[in-house]
This record gives sequence, C-alpha cells and structure tokens, in this order.
Amino acid sequence: MAKPFAALAIPLFLLSVVSLLSLRCGAFSADRPTDRRLLVLVDDLAIRSSHSLYFSTLQSRGYDLDFKLADDPSLALSQYGQYLYDGLLLFSPSVQRFGGSLDLAGILDFVDAGHDLILAADSSASDLIREISTECGVDFDEAISFQDPAALVIDHTSYAVSETEGDHTLIASDIFIESTTILGDEKIEAPVLFRGIGHSLNAANSLVLKVLSASPAAYSANPATKLSSPPSLTGSAISLVSIVQARNNARVLITGSLDMFSNRFLKSGVQKAGSSIKTQSPLLFSFGTALVLRSEKSGNQQFLTEISKWVFHERGHLKEGECMAQVFLSMNFLVKEYSVEIYEWSGSSWKPYVVDDVQVQFYMMSPYVLKTLSTDKKGLYSTSFKVPDVYGVFQFKVEYERLGYTSLSLSKQIPVRPFRHNEYERFITTAFPYYGASFSTMAAFFIFTVVYLYNK
Amino acid sequence: MAKSSSSDAQALIRSLRSAYAATPTNLKIIDLYVVYAITTAVIQIVYMGIVGSFPFNSFLSGILSCVGTAVLAVCLRIQVNKENKEFKDLSPERAFADFVLCNLVLHLVIMNFLG
Repeated sequence: MAKPFAALAIPLFLLSVVSLLSLRCGAFSADRPTDRRLLVLVDDLAIRSSHSLYFSTLQSRGYDLDFKLADDPSLALSQYGQYLYDGLLLFSPSVQRFGGSLDLAGILDFVDAGHDLILAADSSASDLIREISTECGVDFDEAISFQDPAALVIDHTSYAVSETEGDHTLIASDIFIESTTILGDEKIEAPVLFRGIGHSLNAANSLVLKVLSASPAAYSANPATKLSSPPSLTGSAISLVSIVQARNNARVLITGSLDMFSNRFLKSGVQKAGSSIKTQSPLLFSFGTALVLRSEKSGNQQFLTEISKWVFHERGHLKEGECMAQVFLSMNFLVKEYSVEIYEWSGSSWKPYVVDDVQVQFYMMSPYVLKTLSTDKKGLYSTSFKVPDVYGVFQFKVEYERLGYTSLSLSKQIPVRPFRHNEYERFITTAFPYYGASFSTMAAFFIFTVVYLYNK
Repeated sequence: MAKSSSSDAQALIRSLRSAYAATPTNLKIIDLYVVYAITTAVIQIVYMGIVGSFPFNSFLSGILSCVGTAVLAVCLRIQVNKENKEFKDLSPERAFADFVLCNLVLHLVIMNFLG
C-alpha cells in the first residue's frame, strides 16, 4: 500500500510546487482582481463534507480552498507582512477565540486591506462572530445574546413545509435585491431556504445592502418558548443575507444561516406555504387552508453561486484604462477634451464596460461643468466642452458609483491660464481694420511723396 | 440780428475760401494728406467704440500710424511754408528728407507693435 504511494509522492510534490507557483503568479492583484486562495475556518471538519456541494462549486471555478479549524493554533492570515490568502470564509459560528495569531483586529485589517469575507452564523453564534459582523455594519439580533440564545427567524406565512420540523423556522424567501450585477443575469426562480438568525442593517449606512430579506410577516424569536414581549426584530427590517462593499472595494457577505450552504438545503426541493401563484410545473394541492407551491430544487445553489461570484470579484469590478485630457483651440474658443476607458472584469479578462450614464465634472471647489460622457460602445467614454472663463487649476473628476459595482473615483488635474503671447491666433479677425489702417497709411505716405516730389 | 450773423458767417467762409485758394499747391497736397490720416484715425476710434478694444495693441498701432503721419506731415508743412520766418534757413529738401526718415521709423514701430 505504501509503495505506489511513495512512488507517486515525488511527482505529486513537484506538481503541487509548480501549481502553487503558477497560482501565486495568478493571485489577487490589480490586474486580476478575482481571488484565488481562500481560507475556510470551520468549527468542525464535518462541515467539509456536509457542505461539500458548495465548496466544490467554488473549487470548480478555480479557487484554492484551505480548510482549518477555527481554533487551530497554527492559524495565520499573514506572514512576514504579506497576506497568505485572498479571501476568508468564516463558517465557524460558535468560535469564542480564534487560534494562532488571528483575532478580531486581524480579520478587520484583512478586510481593510481590500480582501473579501464570507461570514455565516447560526443560532450558536458567539460574541466574537457578532462583533465581527457589527464592525462590518450588520447587527445580529441583540436580544438573542441577552435573553434568548436560541432565537431564530420565524415566519408563519413564508415557511418551507418540512416533514420533520413544524415550527416554521425553515423559511423560504424570494425577496431578492434587484441587481443583475450581484445576483447574475438569470432570475432565481425558486425560493431560497434559510434557517438561522436574522440581522438588521443601520439605515444610515450606505455601504450595506440587503440581498435576501425576510417577508413582512417574519420575526425573530425562540420557537420553543412563549413570547413575553413583542420581538424587537420584525418584518422587512430582518435581513437574511447582506452584503457590504467597503470604500476600498472589499466585499463582505454576512448571513445568519450556515445551513443555507449545506448540501441538504442545496439539493432539497422547496414547498413554500402561503403562496397562491400558479406556475407551470408545480404540484398544487391544498394544505390546510393554504395553497402550496413546490419547486423541484431550492434556489440556494444558484443564489449562492451567483453571490459568491460577486463577493470574490468575478463580477462587477471596474477599472479605468487610459485617461486623456487635452486642450485645443477651436473657433477662437478654448475647448477641453476628456476621454477615459472603463473596463469590467469578467472573471477571466477585462471587457469593455458599456453604459450611458458616466458623468464627468470640471471641478474647482465646485463643479463648473457636469456632462454625461458619450460612449462609443467599446468602453471608451469622451466628451468635449468649452472651458469656462475662469482661470485656475481644475480637475476632471469621474465619481462613478452604482449598485454592485466597485466605485470609480478618477481625477485629472489641468490648469487653465491666460494665453501666452505666442498662443494667440496669428491674425486676429477683429483687428483687421487696424491692420488695414496701418497699411493704408503706409501706402498713402508713399503716394504722397511721389505726388509731392513730382508736382510742378 | 440773425440775418446779419448768417451773412457774417457766409462772408467769413467766403474769405477763408479765397484766402485758401491762394496757398501754393504743395501745401494743399500736404493738407489733403493730413485730412486723410485724421479721417482714418476717426474711423478706427468709431470701430473700437463698437467692437471693443480686444487686441488693444493693434488698435494703438493703427491710431499711432495715422496720428503720427499726420503730425509729421504738419511739421513738413510748417517747415516748407515760405511765409514762416523761423525756417527761412532750412531748405525744403532737408525738410522733406527729415519727413521721409521719420516716417520710415514710425512705420517700423507700427509694424512691430501691430502683432
């Protein structure tokens, strides 16, 4: 048994070294923004097999997953000042303290350095996990930690009918955010199964977004005990899956259900109670007093695949290319021309980004000119306009922020000054009478001398 | 009163005309030249009033050329006029040579300042 293994060991080792080297070349960089190396922290290595479908979809897209226990003493995100991983998946909701050199500050620095994070909690979420998500802008139901550690999101109208649990904590939600950048071009037909804790977002925070919300009838409480007071987190304020796009374009996904990623949820069908919409292939039958809609397969796989594409920068990542600003004289007016190229990363290459709402400002303390750039449909945006009659140092500013896309903030400085004496036109049109007068005086002088001298 | 003043004016103009008719021809030529230069200057000022003084150097150059030649022509007329006692010793050829040289310098300056 050992011999063939030993014989294979050396070429395997060489192969892994070579592949590691090539991976290192293709790692996260400004030119290739898709992450490559991901660290997956789990409470229990059984998650590796119980969530294997999700992990294999990631690996099939070329990611390199590194599974470690959350309290592994050899944990380290960075070594000698360089980060070892491009992304972090925290699938360890009950960890109290990370092993090795990792801690809350380390994880926040990781995100601040521009790297991505997926955090999945569940009803056993520890204070550490809650703190991490609070720092990212997402507040898990606080009532849980003080009063009721086992509170889950309950929805008596949008629950998924299940044979084993009848307490309506398994909910099926299809209230998605409207964005093809985040969720892909194809509409997710089936609802997404969710079982876990809910969180809320601060309305004043403009960087967090609700990707999957609970229905207005949901609330967060312990299913086993009787409610003594109205729950604090209810209705559409509950977000089941949220994303954060930081100002440095790091992307964070936070959700309260680790089970959402599990094989069981990815493969199971969904019987959503309370829906009265007919579709083509459901098995309709009445269940008590409600109509039931059944989908063959839950939307979890499509939803999670698309959103992890977004989180790991396979989609919605913009960069600017050549940016050019020049000035030229046209019809006696000073005209500035500005052009910029914008590319979008498609997962494997930079493609031209074509929209029609990129705007540029000609700015000095306040915008003097604000124009929408015209596009040539190949990613090149340009415009030209007459310079305002004010001298100073201006900037061409493009501040482009759209839902789901990285924010573009470009600026190019350009001075506007009076003409130098040799920058005027050679012959100024309005001065022609003066030219004419001077020359006619010279001619008149010449004729005068001739007439005067030869006058008898 | 009105009749006498108008007839006085007419008498004045008539006497001016007859006196002027007596001037030598070369002085009349100089006078014509001066009138032309001043007219050109006036036209330029009216044009500047309409359009504005954008290439101010060109405006100044044009005005200077007209006014300068007018001044030089007036100097020539003074020096050449035989009725002037002061310039009895100055020959008309010398006066004319001065006139030509000064005009050359003037037009050189004009061409440079015209832009």
